[in-house]
Amino acid sequence: MTGIPVSHFLLLAAALFAIGVVGVIVRRNALIVIMSVELMLNAANLTLLAYGRARHDGNFHALAFLVIAVAAAEAAVGLAIVVGIFRNRHSANLDELTLMKH
Amino acid sequence: MGEKITFWVCAVIVLGGALFTITRRNTVTAVMSLVGTFFGLAALYTLLSAHFLAAIQVLVYAGAIMTLFVFVVMVLNREEADPWAIRGFFTKVILGLAVTGYLTARVVIYLGRVPDGTKSLPPTEFGSVSQIGDLLFGGYLFPFEAVSLLLLVAVIGAVVVARIPRKPADEAHAPAPVEEKHG
Repeated sequence: MTGIPVSHFLLLAAALFAIGVVGVIVRRNALIVIMSVELMLNAANLTLLAYGRARHDGNFHALAFLVIAVAAAEAAVGLAIVVGIFRNRHSANLDELTLMKH
Repeated sequence: MGEKITFWVCAVIVLGGALFTITRRNTVTAVMSLVGTFFGLAALYTLLSAHFLAAIQVLVYAGAIMTLFVFVVMVLNREEADPWAIRGFFTKVILGLAVTGYLTARVVIYLGRVPDGTKSLPPTEFGSVSQIGDLLFGGYLFPFEAVSLLLLVAVIGAVVVARIPRKPADEAHAPAPVEEKHG
């Protein structure tokens, strides 16, 4: 049985992370930005699991599990903040949120 | 051979879904392509012998988190006049290629140092529920409990942030304030 080299997974995770970074930079919609953050978290998880497979180490799996739980909490709070901002300002455009700008 | 085909198909699904997510103007399309990305990732996790985490990925990400996103899309439901923060197609493409190139180069530098154990099969209990359960309730007990507290705080915080503030003037006349539940 010939497995797939771990480098393939690492490069795929790097590309996925890059897509997430670009999404955060180029989009104005707060919702899409949160989705891009989720993409980055998933890329990190893929890296963890690839290393876990390469080293036959279960600790990576426990770490990835904790990352998923924290990502769920982050998504819930982030989306609640988006909804709260939308209620007050009727917009989810990040470029219009200049309240804390000096 | 079958593994290779699975990997490349999943890689195309993951990257295509991610690209669709950040390029579509329609938010529902973006959410649905994100679901595709998460399913592709779950398949990749099974390729990496992480069966428990693949199941968790489908349940938590493709199930719970995506439902949350769809709900918020429903609440927002507004067309964007100008979705891009950076103008110019080529600026965006160059930016994307630069970030991808940089990260890939960083990964390639370290690739030679990775001990590649994928040639040999992992132990049979690798990635199983019992192994992860042993870890989570053993050495990772404190982080596990901390995460449960974090989730509680996040749920309460989400409700507090997203609820409609009650207006004092309405309370005298309105029969019962209807509060929207979130999450």
